[in-house]
Amino acid sequence: MKKILFIILIGSAFFSCSEEKKYQYGLDPVDVTLGGGQKTNQKSTTEFISIAYSDLYGTIIPQTKLVNLSIAYSSFGDLKIIEQRIISNFLNDTTIHLPTVPAVNGDTMLFITNTYKKLYNREPNEFEKFKWQDLVRNNTAVTPTTIYFALMTSDEYRFY
Amino acid sequence: MKRRDFIKRTALASAGVFAAPYILPSGRLFAASGLRRVNHVVFCLYAGGVRNLESVHMNDGNLMTNLFSGGGSISPDIAGAMESLPPSPLSAPLQTYGTLFKEFRYKQGPTGHYNGHTVAVTGRYVDTDLNIREHPRNPTIFEYYRKHNSPQQSSMNSWWVANSLGPYPALNYSSSSDYGPDYGANFIAPTSLISPQGFDVLGNPRNFASPEEAAISNIHAFVNGIFNHSYSDGSAGVINNSTDAALLQAFISDLYAKAQTSQFQNSWNAASVMNNDMYNMLFATEIIKTFKPELMVVNMQDVDVCHFNYTEYANNLRKADFAVAQLWNTIQSTPGMADDTVLIVAPEHGRNFFTNTSVDAYGRAALDHTAPNDPDFSGDPNLAMARDIFCLVVGPPSVVRQNQVINTLMGQSTEIVPAIANLLGFDDAIPAGYLRNWANCEIQAAFI
Repeated sequence: MKKILFIILIGSAFFSCSEEKKYQYGLDPVDVTLGGGQKTNQKSTTEFISIAYSDLYGTIIPQTKLVNLSIAYSSFGDLKIIEQRIISNFLNDTTIHLPTVPAVNGDTMLFITNTYKKLYNREPNEFEKFKWQDLVRNNTAVTPTTIYFALMTSDEYRFY
Repeated sequence: MKRRDFIKRTALASAGVFAAPYILPSGRLFAASGLRRVNHVVFCLYAGGVRNLESVHMNDGNLMTNLFSGGGSISPDIAGAMESLPPSPLSAPLQTYGTLFKEFRYKQGPTGHYNGHTVAVTGRYVDTDLNIREHPRNPTIFEYYRKHNSPQQSSMNSWWVANSLGPYPALNYSSSSDYGPDYGANFIAPTSLISPQGFDVLGNPRNFASPEEAAISNIHAFVNGIFNHSYSDGSAGVINNSTDAALLQAFISDLYAKAQTSQFQNSWNAASVMNNDMYNMLFATEIIKTFKPELMVVNMQDVDVCHFNYTEYANNLRKADFAVAQLWNTIQSTPGMADDTVLIVAPEHGRNFFTNTSVDAYGRAALDHTAPNDPDFSGDPNLAMARDIFCLVVGPPSVVRQNQVINTLMGQSTEIVPAIANLLGFDDAIPAGYLRNWANCEIQAAFI
């Protein structure tokens, strides 16, 4: 009888409770690095002009244009004003390579990703993608032209 | 009232009067530290190197009839080379509206153009170690004005209008850690900006509608907000706020539009003889008419042709003289600036007594501007002639002594910045050690 009791006790110790499954809850890995965080070097005037030209015209800036831009650049003390004017002049030229409006309104994320790669030399992070979705879809004034102008006159575009 | 109460109340009332800021009849509020004499100062650098022999001493006759009274006709051998200029817009030579210092001096340092300009805008002499690729080490008049004037003004109220590029764009603010671009002036080199080259790259901008502007502003706020560097920390020059920036963009567009019209080119009825100096001054008058700045420094340098062509130097002295008359005429025709502006005119330095080897078509030898640094002029006083300049101060009779000529040695280049600070009422606010003490400035003789 004692033996039977002992076996029952031991058996119950082994089989009465079984270990519960452990569930772990969490988020998928998301890129949360600061956008453009590695860029610490400011572009020189010539670099800024040349890169902006190449980004919009898809070709190297002609020497005459570079000279004219350099003269204009040095002729006014508020460089932000001059840079905005340079970019807005580029954007008013029908020969530049600019994505069409449907490209923004169609696959917005593809447009934004491609634009970031072209102008910022990086992909947008998840937060930026989320925010851009919001910026583009809630405002009809956000067109390829306004996006390009805003990005090319932003602080990050001035750095590499 | 008891005597003790009376004294107490009077003392309190007096203390209140002195402690409170002054409110001028114009409604402007100024700090108690200094009262303004006028609300606008324009400093015209009649630069490029002007010798007193040709300006105030009139060795070749009066080449500057708009500024100076008297003198004979232009020397016959070069008279034929002088281009015809329209009549003066002024009813009398400028010197009658103020005080002329005939023996002002640029006392120390190399007599180079950039050195002279730097001294003129900083109020401090510079030595041979001046770096033309950097902003001046000492604060400029623009920074003193924007930091110490009360109330503080934006850069829309202070302008540096240069006739050329090279090192001159750097003069709108210094590298001083206590001042710098946050207090700098708006800089413009109009004859470079409003040129065929400038128009090619800036003259046809995409104009954004208001909703687009708002969208761009939103995007900027987002992308700049998450980027950890700012382009506004000094490397972008003097930054105007968005409202002022919009005004400046419109102003630049307006200048491009105007510059293409013959009416603008012929604003002074002198289209066929306009040189770089005259255009620079014409654009300066556009700034005056549009923004009515409280402080403007504008220069001319075409007389520097004297290095190889004396006769053209004489011709350009006349053109610069005509341009100054137009400048003053515009000031006096602009509501808000008329009768409330002091104009100071001075070269940055003079020219040599001894000629160089170049001789022009009229047989006149050319002149450089190289004064020795040693105090005894290497034993020859004539070697110091590149330090001899004039200074003309004109303004309202209540502020500037009218029709006064000072023939004795009086005043020097470093006194102009303190004079501007005093005229605009912020000289007391500038910490000691930066500038010549106003009490020791001989240019005071020009003022009531």
